[in-house]
Amino acid sequence: MKTTFTPDRRAFLTSSVAGSMLMPGIVQQLLADSNDPLAERQPHFPAKAKRVIFLFMTGGVSHVDTLDPKPALTRDHGKEINADHPEIKDRPGYERIYLKRPQWEFAPHGECGTEVSTLFPHIATCVDDIAMIRSMHTSHSNHYNATLGMHTGSFTFSRPSLGAWVSYGLGTMNRNLPGFVVIAPRQTYAGTQVYASDFLPGAHQGTLVVPGATPVANVAPRIPQDRQTLELAAIRAMNAKHLDSRNDDALLSARMQSFETAFGMQMAVPEAFDLGGETDQTLQNYGLQRGQTSGFGWQCLAARRLVERGVRFVELIDTGSSGNWDAHGDMMSHVGLAKNVDQPIAALLKDLKQSGMLDDTLVVWTTEFGRTPFNNTADAKGREHHPWAFTSWLAGAGVKPGIVHGATDEHGLRAVEKPVHVHDFHATILHLMGFDHEQLTYRHAGRDYRLTDVEGQVVSDILA
Amino acid sequence: MRHRTISSRTFDVLMIMCAMNLCSLPTQRMIVAAEDDSFFEKQVRPLLVKRCDKCHSGTKTNGGLALDSRAGWQRGGESGPAIMPGKPELSLLVKAINYDGLEMPPKSGGGKLSDTEISVLTEWVKQGANDPRIEAVRPGGMSSEQASSWWAFQSLPKLTEPVTPLRIDRFIDTQLKARSLAASSPADRRTLIRRATHDLTGLSPTPEEVDRFVSDDSDDAFEKVIDRLLASPQYGVKWGRHWLDVVRYADTAGENTDRPLPHAWRYRNWVIDSFNRDLPFDQFVRMQLAGDLLQTDGTTIAAGEGIIATGYLAIARRFGHDIDKDIHLMHEDVIDNVGKNFLGLSIGCARCHDHKYDPLTAEDYYALYGIFSSTRFAFPGCEPKGQPRDLVPLLTQAEIDARTNAWRQRNEKAVAEKKSRDESSVSVRATIKELAAKSSRLLAESKVDEGASVSFADSKSVALDQLPLKKGEILQLTVLPNASHGADTTLVEWEISETNGPKRTWSVADFVSTLTDGNPRTADDGSSWSFLDVTDGPQFLTEKKDVVAEHSDLNAWSLGDTPSVLVNRSKEPIKAWTTLPPRSFFVHPGVNRNVAVAWVCPDDVVVKVNGRVADAHPAGGDGIAFRLEHIAAKNAGPALVKLGMLINAPDIFVEPQPVIPVAYAVVEGSVADARLHQRGDPEQLGDAVPRRWLSIFGGETVPVDAGSGRRQLGDWIASHPLAARVMVNRIWQWHSGRGLVSTPNDFGARGERPSHPELLDWLAAAFRESGYSVKAMHRLIMQTDAYQRSSQVSDSSATDDADNRYLSRFARRRLNAEEIRDTLLAAGGSLDTSSAKAHPFPAEATWNFTQHNPFSAVYTTNRRSVFLMVQRQQRDPYLALFDGADPNASTAVRQRTTVPTQALYFMNAPFVHEQAAGFARRLVATDVPNDRARIQLAFRLLYQRQATPAEVEHGAIFIEQYPGSIDEKWSAWSRVLLSANEFLHLD
Repeated sequence: MKTTFTPDRRAFLTSSVAGSMLMPGIVQQLLADSNDPLAERQPHFPAKAKRVIFLFMTGGVSHVDTLDPKPALTRDHGKEINADHPEIKDRPGYERIYLKRPQWEFAPHGECGTEVSTLFPHIATCVDDIAMIRSMHTSHSNHYNATLGMHTGSFTFSRPSLGAWVSYGLGTMNRNLPGFVVIAPRQTYAGTQVYASDFLPGAHQGTLVVPGATPVANVAPRIPQDRQTLELAAIRAMNAKHLDSRNDDALLSARMQSFETAFGMQMAVPEAFDLGGETDQTLQNYGLQRGQTSGFGWQCLAARRLVERGVRFVELIDTGSSGNWDAHGDMMSHVGLAKNVDQPIAALLKDLKQSGMLDDTLVVWTTEFGRTPFNNTADAKGREHHPWAFTSWLAGAGVKPGIVHGATDEHGLRAVEKPVHVHDFHATILHLMGFDHEQLTYRHAGRDYRLTDVEGQVVSDILA
Repeated sequence: MRHRTISSRTFDVLMIMCAMNLCSLPTQRMIVAAEDDSFFEKQVRPLLVKRCDKCHSGTKTNGGLALDSRAGWQRGGESGPAIMPGKPELSLLVKAINYDGLEMPPKSGGGKLSDTEISVLTEWVKQGANDPRIEAVRPGGMSSEQASSWWAFQSLPKLTEPVTPLRIDRFIDTQLKARSLAASSPADRRTLIRRATHDLTGLSPTPEEVDRFVSDDSDDAFEKVIDRLLASPQYGVKWGRHWLDVVRYADTAGENTDRPLPHAWRYRNWVIDSFNRDLPFDQFVRMQLAGDLLQTDGTTIAAGEGIIATGYLAIARRFGHDIDKDIHLMHEDVIDNVGKNFLGLSIGCARCHDHKYDPLTAEDYYALYGIFSSTRFAFPGCEPKGQPRDLVPLLTQAEIDARTNAWRQRNEKAVAEKKSRDESSVSVRATIKELAAKSSRLLAESKVDEGASVSFADSKSVALDQLPLKKGEILQLTVLPNASHGADTTLVEWEISETNGPKRTWSVADFVSTLTDGNPRTADDGSSWSFLDVTDGPQFLTEKKDVVAEHSDLNAWSLGDTPSVLVNRSKEPIKAWTTLPPRSFFVHPGVNRNVAVAWVCPDDVVVKVNGRVADAHPAGGDGIAFRLEHIAAKNAGPALVKLGMLINAPDIFVEPQPVIPVAYAVVEGSVADARLHQRGDPEQLGDAVPRRWLSIFGGETVPVDAGSGRRQLGDWIASHPLAARVMVNRIWQWHSGRGLVSTPNDFGARGERPSHPELLDWLAAAFRESGYSVKAMHRLIMQTDAYQRSSQVSDSSATDDADNRYLSRFARRRLNAEEIRDTLLAAGGSLDTSSAKAHPFPAEATWNFTQHNPFSAVYTTNRRSVFLMVQRQQRDPYLALFDGADPNASTAVRQRTTVPTQALYFMNAPFVHEQAAGFARRLVATDVPNDRARIQLAFRLLYQRQATPAEVEHGAIFIEQYPGSIDEKWSAWSRVLLSANEFLHLD
């Protein structure tokens, strides 16, 4: 591994040009060392899921209008109810509240017959692969806190994100790509905290990709490749000599190696995001025009390409902290937002299934909270934040397909049957990845921290 | 020393509870107490241990319930007391084991008890639940004995011999010897000065500084280097940054909108300055906790400084949508930070329950909580409460009054004049409006179609060729925009001519060359023209424009863009938004705003009125309309002229009010003890806890009338041996990469024990003896052999001291984020070493940040990295990439990750390329004989050493072979040197 640096001109030039160290793909394990935060690791127990695609719908999707059919809510439209609800407490104009009917029709789909509303006609065709959880609930009714909670298990403080925990637990499968990638078009609620590694080693930080022509920072070389090769060879030669007199210091070697990986990333990252090789049919399935580099269809297809190439955890965020599912004013805004994600998500599931990757890929779909089945008048056009109940779903590796788990009451107000808290949801995802959520810990500030804090029960009913 | 103070009220409650229990028990039960013990011991205790302890004992108390002591079940859990002695039917425990409501033990815990087991527990409860397990007096997570003998809490040793670096080496050598470890040889001088300069200033030494040290044969050569570095203002930049790590400094508040803190920089700069002037550490501690209380009777500067120092408390992270509703979380952040920073204790852990490992109780937590809730914190604003408040003025009230009064006096006359002018214009305007309403007579009126022209004669309602007018009356032509388009440039021709006497003529053509001379424009004969917005009474057009649409021959009066009057004074047509004919006068109504030209009659006269109105820009769609009126009131004209003079008179200058400098800081608030939050829930209030020091350290209370108690807290902390231990450990760590205690924020039971306990104690004692001089500690530590060792690993230390715990060598380290950036800037010749002040935040009045649209910015600067704006919600991308400090939690030890995205930064980030190009320019511009000398210079500038012949040779080959221009060649080679490990690491 060690290159001997001689002052011989010919040898120097030869090593610069040949530079096998610099060829992408020949990434070598310089350190078979436990200090290496990205080394591939085994989970606590064998698991089918090797990777995760996490689909996050921003702003609070209305469960009663999309995935949780409530005929009684239609029947009782306009009926006054009482609820000690956080969003109406001490709120002028909300002294009295009335049930408000769903605005879209539901119908059973697939062999399993899971009901989905007309907002998601494409996802409806995938229900036989989906475990729908209709009894989700969360601990906060604010976007900021609920979004932070859904990502980190903490509703208040900065803590490592779910993706960072998975990367920490399993390491990476492809050193030419980051282990945890977040594709988001705009700034999210609670900022970069939602995909931060926080106290976990920085290597597990989510790498932000903003859809567009240059999705990852500093990946595009600023000089032609032949020149860059010369420079990297010279750096390597200097580093090799520097290392020679320094007892093969592992940290110095690791930094040398990081340049080789970075060189590979310059090609691997653009290649992963270059959809040029996809067939017209595939692009069409995802609702994409050739050459398009944005939109949720692009995000979904890029996600498939990333997981194919060994990225451990890909999160797709559909919108940002404004212009999202937060339909206080008018539920009709759900139409455009649903249309944005419906066909691409269905295409992604079918694509994964067709290639067999759904067998070892876990797909998660969620939002931060639901929306109230009531409002201060029955004719109000919008719905408010609703932490008491919402719907999320899982599909793929290790998940029991075509089932519905848990239920809300007849009006979709509370998760009454087999309620699943965000902590339980996290415990289940970790379980599907092969982890006991109580054992996946990190010692920080004198305490062992975990994603689920002191809570969390695995939802064993949905395990295949 | 008392180890646990039970407040007298708590004690009373316990006594009453005991008394009640006794009363409720029949006398005979008392007699068979011994037998009850055996029932408990034989049947109940084993059962509890077997089936309940897993989740309800020791540190594990699910649902808040402990079943491993009598007090545990008496206190109960979240659902209330678990057992009502003698009443199984009312006891939650009995219900739960019968799966009535709660189901205990749960399935995951082995499932329901057997019938026999249930009957044992039921019988035990029925018989009065005798339980001999009296809880040991435990302050938090330790027994009293453990707590009082805990190593970190012991008083410091007396120093029996002079404080010298030699003494430190003796402690270290003893350990090395005991472990048969060989120490590395001393580092060479170039290595040492590079190490020392980075350690103390975060920058590399210059070649001259290196040469001077290398050639200095005197015994105190290194001492002189240390003194020089300690005297540099860049020392405070480096060491201030260390402290800012621990206090989780940030320039934003961290609540849901992450509002900027425009005044926090004063605290940041105070920290830097405090290190530079070696403010004694005990004073440094006191000032951060209570600076406002220490120096209020001092000079202005000192008082201001004391206030600024409390910025330490104010920069606590804020939480939630409405900060005030989550204020208990800010208090937790404060208590957590105070505990970790100054004492190495995780006091924040005692918010919901007694500390599980350290001798800290929830009462301790709320004793401190009361001190901070009795303090008024500056408020940064939040979404529902947009603007900051409670910022603390840095001047005394007398000084503020003096400045404000001086301002008031200087401006008194101007303010009064302005006021009277404003008032009189209001009244004059009202007069005109009233007169016009009473006496207006319509002379002509018409709509003017798109592109059309209408004369007064064609639209008259009275004869216009013999019109008698009185002195002071007004003729007014109003142009209306029609259906609110307002985009109508309207040509106006208007001539008034006397039919008898001097036969004078007044015409709008008269002022085509001089429009902007005045409004009103009064002639020598007393006639005058005014240009008005008459949408709601007369309003003078006040904005004079000598250039319109980039033509200096177009002049105008307006209010905003429209309405306006304008002229083309040139002899040529001007093509602007439309073609404007030469020597013409136009009016331009606004959207829903009518514009008028008014003429005031100078004498009693008879006149002929001629004129026309034409749409000069046929693009608006629906043309315009006009109205010619006679305001037949002789007071109206003079009033109008007066109004114009008032409005268009030169501005009365009033100085802006003096700005009073403020700090983001704290002052005393309304003083009250805090009530305990049961299980950390601020809505479940328990008893009030007196404001006091930690019980393990004596629990001294804040005297009555002493205010919040921050001043006392500062004294308690600053004089405690733990504070000295924690700080010398940090200083040691910031020099050597690893503390003697490797968990610098945790000196409690969960922390690591010191590697050299005697050395740590001795250093703390020496620190105290030096008057808590941080600079004295630098001199002491840096002059040891241990500090000056090379980073070469000896055979024995490679295996037996792999992590250098015993200091057999110097621990090689990568430069931290700030050092990398600052050194790159310095290499590129662009570093600005001056101090910064406020960040260029948007003005407070403009803030409308929400959680949907939070504050977010990155400000570029060539100043040192400590002056980068640090945001809590959006991490600075560079600092995040290179393991910068966490702005949300105390960073005791920087992470050090090596990831390919860092390499990508060196390969492709514009910043690196810019600095490399700057370095290349420096090299190329230097007057040296040849490229080989240039290569030597580069090694000396970046690596502080001579290049070897081979390195020179390779540099020359690289320059020769690399394609491109001279600049490209040297830039490329500079990138190589700046990316190499040697540049990024300290030996």
